[in-house]
Amino acid sequence: MASHLFCGRVNLNILREAARKDLREFLDKCSGSKAIVWDEYLTGPFGLIAQYSLLKEHEVEKMFTLKGGRIPSAAVKNIVFFVRPRLELMDIIAENVASEDKLQPREFHILFVPRRSLLCEQRLKEKGVLNSFTNIDEYILDLIPYDGDLLSMESESSFRECNLENDQTSLYHAAKGLMTLQALYGTIPQIFGKGECARHVANMMLRMKREFAGSNTQILPVFDTLLLLDRNVDLLTPLATQLTYEGLIDEIFGITNGYVKLPPEKFAQKKQGEGGKDLPTEPKKLQLNSAEELYAEIRDKNFNAVGAALSKKAKIISAAFEERHNAKTVGEIKQFVSQLPHMQAARGSLANHTSIAELIKDITISEDFFDSLTVEQEFMTGVDTDKASTYIEDCIAQKDPLIKILRLVCMQSVCNNGLKQKVLDYYKKEILQTYGYKHILTLKNLEKVGLLKPQSTMRNNYPTIRKTLKLWMEDANEQNPNDISYVYSGYAPLSVRLTQVLARPGWRSIEEVLKMLPGPHFEERQQVPTGLHKKRQPGENRTTLVFFLGGVTYAEIAALRFLSHMEDSGTEYIIATTKLINGTSWVKSLMDNPEENLP
Amino acid sequence: LYVKASYKEQRLEARIALLQSAVDEYYKAKNEFSAKTTEDEMRLLRFQRKLEEEKGELLVGFSLHDTMTTLLSVGLHKHAEQLYKDFRVPDKRFWWLKLKSLAEKEDWEELEKF
Repeated sequence: MASHLFCGRVNLNILREAARKDLREFLDKCSGSKAIVWDEYLTGPFGLIAQYSLLKEHEVEKMFTLKGGRIPSAAVKNIVFFVRPRLELMDIIAENVASEDKLQPREFHILFVPRRSLLCEQRLKEKGVLNSFTNIDEYILDLIPYDGDLLSMESESSFRECNLENDQTSLYHAAKGLMTLQALYGTIPQIFGKGECARHVANMMLRMKREFAGSNTQILPVFDTLLLLDRNVDLLTPLATQLTYEGLIDEIFGITNGYVKLPPEKFAQKKQGEGGKDLPTEPKKLQLNSAEELYAEIRDKNFNAVGAALSKKAKIISAAFEERHNAKTVGEIKQFVSQLPHMQAARGSLANHTSIAELIKDITISEDFFDSLTVEQEFMTGVDTDKASTYIEDCIAQKDPLIKILRLVCMQSVCNNGLKQKVLDYYKKEILQTYGYKHILTLKNLEKVGLLKPQSTMRNNYPTIRKTLKLWMEDANEQNPNDISYVYSGYAPLSVRLTQVLARPGWRSIEEVLKMLPGPHFEERQQVPTGLHKKRQPGENRTTLVFFLGGVTYAEIAALRFLSHMEDSGTEYIIATTKLINGTSWVKSLMDNPEENLP
Repeated sequence: LYVKASYKEQRLEARIALLQSAVDEYYKAKNEFSAKTTEDEMRLLRFQRKLEEEKGELLVGFSLHDTMTTLLSVGLHKHAEQLYKDFRVPDKRFWWLKLKSLAEKEDWEELEKF
């Protein structure tokens, strides 16, 4: 059930097991039958750690979602709240507890994820319910294993908090998560970083390390290098439309916690006799990870290469089914039958992905999609970035989704190192008149994090950066890529390019460019106990953990995987992040809509 | 600058008053653009309220763009034109808007006119 975690270079299942052990210990603390009341946001991430069956083994009988009023009645001894440390949730809990039946005494427990907070406990005290709790505990869940090479904190608003609200809690969690990782996988000897947030995290890690001095873990280091990258350094990449298969699924349908919800029409089971009278109305939910052989193969491909891969696979499968005609002896037939389940699973996943690919194709061949992609690519190559784009004007006039407009405008601003004051004001006025004046707050936010800005007298650095780092490759090969730029059909993500250069030939060669990017860059070393220095076999690859502070896109992940698989790269990458993002979810996290808060 | 956060929470007349204090703050902060925009917003709100009283169309809270679309779709062309001039909407966008809303209504006669 967690087989996809084994297949990577580093066995992330160790981390998952550790997380499960903590959970079991807590559950056993509350003896007797219990019901869990969930903060709804947590159910997704928890699903990646423990299935219902594990909870059941520990006498969890009922599960509810946290909401006001009374908890639905259940014949259990314990009520356990699983919540994020947020004040508004404390109010709900207090209400729950206060309206509890006095005749039927039950024990209450709270498990804070990922940290307990004094502020929240204070709030419970104010509400007079703090003493009702038998256990108040924290469940440290910083980095959640997503896939064989991917960890995420699923901390939604981390970029916003760090860059807009000056709240660095999520960075503290990141540092803590890295410490947990080092406890399990050994000290990471080399740390590189770029950007303000990266610096902060590194400082916190080094300080925590000093505090724990003496209790050095005797584990052979698994990771050779840690690279901390602040999203701030590369604002451009997430704004661009991702063009890998997985990236497009995320752009179009949205992937949450490794699951995607798809419109049901395409997946209606064609059963005989029913005549399609009851089409499923529930969206189809599909889990996506590398445990699925086919998906692992095509997820990181450019979408234009997916069709070919699917048809090749279809041929292989039907050829395998044909084999049964050649099976003569009983032994051969037996062997064939033993392969059947595997083949049927393969056929099922092929059917699913063909349907998804069709859905995506409907969108990618549309004129709209093509037009905005063309404009994006013009911006990235530096065409006409200094005046108002007629395409954006037209989109506003037709009242296309606001996020699409914001993505494009921000992109132009980033590629041009700010827009001329006149152009910027013009865009702002157009947006406010069309979508409503309330969005002035959103525009303000975008300016504050640097996505939108007026041009300063400084000259535009972007072309220099683009040329030095070869961010634009004219002849990106989508079918058989030879460079990471294939993930955006031409644009090579800046963040991944930095990673690539770090491995070879090293950052010293691009000192000039690094200075142009925001925030400091640095290098630290951590002492590894003698005797634990790894003796590298010739031909053995280095392992680098890349931590994206403020989010990472699927296309960037694809690009890093591509680097890992390149024959002469000599480095394999494991990716960690605060949140898996795409341009839409990212811009959304920066928006402010005051009307949403109205009662 | 924080006043602007609070004004959304209030309804009715209090809104315009709060907007005014936001404008004052913006001028103090020398944020010309935001001040002008917020003034525009107040102007739009007043216009919408007046029309609501006169014509009984629900308008308050709509964006300028949506207001014009609504006006056109119920045949209040004069009022839409007035907004177009008052707020100096770029020609191109107004034509787009007019074209779209008239076509939706299948008001071909009015379309013929320009």
